[in-house]
Amino acid sequence: MKKSWKRIAPLAGLLAALVWVCGASAQEYPVATKTLKNGMKILVQPDSSIPNVALYTFYKIGSRNERPGTTGLSHFFEHMMFNGAKKYGPGDLDKVMEANGGSNNAYTTRNVTVYQDWFPRSALELIFDIEADRIENLSFDPKKIESERGVVASERRTSVDGENEGVLGEQLWATAFMAHTYQWPVVGWMSDIEHWTMADLKHHFEMGYSPSNATMVVVGDVKPEEVFALAEKYLEPIPAHAPPPPVTTVEPEQIGERRLVVHKPAELPLLMIAYHVPQTDNPDFYALNVLRSILFQGESSRMYQRLVDKDQIALDVGSESDSAFDPTLLIIDAQPKEGVEPEKCEKAIYEEIQRVKNSQVTDQELEKAKNFRLAEFYRQVRTINGRANTIGTYEVFFGNYQKLFDAAKNYSAVTKDDVQRVAQKYLGANNRTVATLLPENEGKGKP
Amino acid sequence: MRDSLEVLKHGVNQIPHPAKDVDREMRSGQAGIRDENRFALMLGVALLLGVALMSGGVAQAQGVKLPPHEKVVLPNGLTVLLLEKHSVPMVNVSGIVKAGAVVDPAGMEGLASTTAGLLRKGTKTRTAQQFSEEIDFIGGNFGADAGSDYTSFGAEFLSKDTAKGLDLVADAVMHPTFSQGEVDKLLAQSVDGVKAAKDSARDVIFEYYEGYLYDGKGYGRPTGGDESSLKKVQRAAIVKFYEMYYTPGNTILAIAGDFKTEEMKKKIEEVFGGWTGKAAPAVKMEALGSRKGKRLLLVDKGDATQTYFAVGNVGISVMDPDRTAVQVVNTVFGSRFTSMLNEALRVESGLTYGASSFFSPEKEPGPFAMFSFTRNETTEKAIDLMLEVLKKLHTEGVSAEELASAKSYMKGQFPPSIETSGQLAGVIARFEFYGQTDDEVNEREKRIDAVTPEIAKLMIAKHFPLDDLTFVLVGKAAEIGPVVKKYAEKQDAKEIAAPGFWEGRK
Repeated sequence: MKKSWKRIAPLAGLLAALVWVCGASAQEYPVATKTLKNGMKILVQPDSSIPNVALYTFYKIGSRNERPGTTGLSHFFEHMMFNGAKKYGPGDLDKVMEANGGSNNAYTTRNVTVYQDWFPRSALELIFDIEADRIENLSFDPKKIESERGVVASERRTSVDGENEGVLGEQLWATAFMAHTYQWPVVGWMSDIEHWTMADLKHHFEMGYSPSNATMVVVGDVKPEEVFALAEKYLEPIPAHAPPPPVTTVEPEQIGERRLVVHKPAELPLLMIAYHVPQTDNPDFYALNVLRSILFQGESSRMYQRLVDKDQIALDVGSESDSAFDPTLLIIDAQPKEGVEPEKCEKAIYEEIQRVKNSQVTDQELEKAKNFRLAEFYRQVRTINGRANTIGTYEVFFGNYQKLFDAAKNYSAVTKDDVQRVAQKYLGANNRTVATLLPENEGKGKP
Repeated sequence: MRDSLEVLKHGVNQIPHPAKDVDREMRSGQAGIRDENRFALMLGVALLLGVALMSGGVAQAQGVKLPPHEKVVLPNGLTVLLLEKHSVPMVNVSGIVKAGAVVDPAGMEGLASTTAGLLRKGTKTRTAQQFSEEIDFIGGNFGADAGSDYTSFGAEFLSKDTAKGLDLVADAVMHPTFSQGEVDKLLAQSVDGVKAAKDSARDVIFEYYEGYLYDGKGYGRPTGGDESSLKKVQRAAIVKFYEMYYTPGNTILAIAGDFKTEEMKKKIEEVFGGWTGKAAPAVKMEALGSRKGKRLLLVDKGDATQTYFAVGNVGISVMDPDRTAVQVVNTVFGSRFTSMLNEALRVESGLTYGASSFFSPEKEPGPFAMFSFTRNETTEKAIDLMLEVLKKLHTEGVSAEELASAKSYMKGQFPPSIETSGQLAGVIARFEFYGQTDDEVNEREKRIDAVTPEIAKLMIAKHFPLDDLTFVLVGKAAEIGPVVKKYAEKQDAKEIAAPGFWEGRK
């Protein structure tokens, strides 16, 4: 229950982390696939090292498919998927699953909604029965909607409003995007959480939850044939319907720096800098990840060495980028030390960025980044759970899980020139949004 | 530490931080398996492996066993545990130095933790930067930190880099130099780290809870130190701490992963055989029994829109004979999604994103707590409800059906907690430290099955106190102060920005 206070620089992570680099030396995991008649795709990766199964269902619907007024609906809907269908009524899903040794969770991003089941292999058929019931026959109990509204509001308070990173990050996205639907928070604006209706929910279900919009990944102590047979029995009869309408809005090119400031009570300030970068399946994905590794990965990375170790102006510095269907953001975050103006961290970050633009990174740095990706790959696939998430993420964001196997080749192909080129192309002043949180404490003076 | 934008079904996800998808919203936050050193709070499965081990089980007997492993004691006294696992080409090292934060001198909390943090910050042959460069270059990692009972260090690398990886671990553990520059740097970061943590109520509520519960003694002292105590930590004390406790006879080294045991033994002897040191003094700690009466600490966070609250008492120790039965009951009561607490506070009333309870056993009795959070206006309603659920546990007990479900859940959820080399190395190291045997895993299902409704009833009476309760709340005192007066006659208050957590009555 305790921890020390040294802050850990966030792992650069994400999709990139799921990829391995040295193709020849990396392990392969055989995946069996089947597409049901209704368009739902099933991927199975058998592994009997523990008597358990991880089952992930990815729906290609997230907050990017929402509209002003109902922001956060995808995530709220995700909650409702646990609140009762025809055979398994309100509360039954969790009770039955847990009584059979299983557990579940789900997550929503700007792009996808993902349902996760973890269970002993003995519960395999039951899980299919449960999943089919809620995909086909979800019910909308007005009382459940009201109580779940309170749950989501509490979640928003704890994960966004109660966290400086949450508050600042939300405003950063809202400022960096002015046209595209990535601009609002996944959890939704509080006033939207308070106002969405039963009709909104029903519409969302019809829009996003066609089997043809879903990909199921099953990893663990199963045989592909038994999974396919269960899928045919339980899922195939569910009719397909129209997929969500395409998101056609394209964010106009940013043509000048944007800045925003948040004043709130806080112990320490916070800094976030966002650059627009392409969507996940863009070829620059690999070079950008190598660049991020060199800048942010580990205590030997350039940014850590500069801001945390040498200048000692920050507690930590890191970067994030999510898996995305549309052009997204590369976000740099830094926690300035007490008494350090965020601008000082900002300046140091820009100087380091300038350095990668001006001259090539070293051979040693390039190799280090590739080694990191190889080790990170094994960290991702060493559990049945991590593997299910990885395979599904590749299938959904690259359009084919096989891309996992090309990644080795793609990372090996990244050159020092590529790293320099993507730094020059994407990390420019006109392409950035800078968000700063400044503590405003009673008695300590206000700005 | 920046998982801020996740949105889940419930608080703690089982994803071992894989794709750290930014802006992910989850249904809940059930803590499955996380890095050992992480703070897994939310739904209070906080105990991680500890709990899982004691509590887990199988629907139909899953029959999981701990893989075979070997123990060797080197002539210099170092205990080495080796477990082969070839599923991925990686090696994990999990070490324990048998002295943790409980031996920090009074007023110098954070000494053990700072000593651990400095291991990689410069050795006789490597600067901090060189160490980082070398471990990063092989895609590996190394970390060390102190808990209450012991200090742990760990590393992970690809098996092709075993020689380099072991060399780095040995160098950090055997030859740290604690240069003044690095000492100053780390201490300054740690002080700011405390302040940054205080910006998030959920990151610090258990520091206050444990501080108040143990009145600033024993497990009530902050393992990472606080703003005042860290300023008293000096290089000389660090060196003394290191020399006294970091000795081969006082250390357990568990290695699991892709290697051949006989070859690894030789390598370990080569690398660690030359380590010397005097016998370390035995760690003594005065154990605190459960607290009598009702007491309440209100930590004022002026901008809070939600109140975070923990309610409980001193719980059980790692070797408590009741441990399995307590975990079975706690599964029903507060450590899964359909637990009594989560059903009442979240599912049925929508008052919160999550409510849970946990036991955090240590060598001596560790804390027991019920935990949740709710908006300022519903603070009273939520705490009242929590206490009602506790009362219901006593009056109605646990039904046969609930008991069967909990057993099945514990068994079914257990295998993924001993799936990886890193998890296994951690498990065998802790078993060695606490004097547990493999039966903790191998006999687990049997022990779970042995818990009857009668035993459950006894556990409730004995380990889930109804009248002797310690309350700790972090929230906006101006709004919630008046309504929480009713919970305890003895009331204390503190500003969150004031240095420290709860140091106890002087």
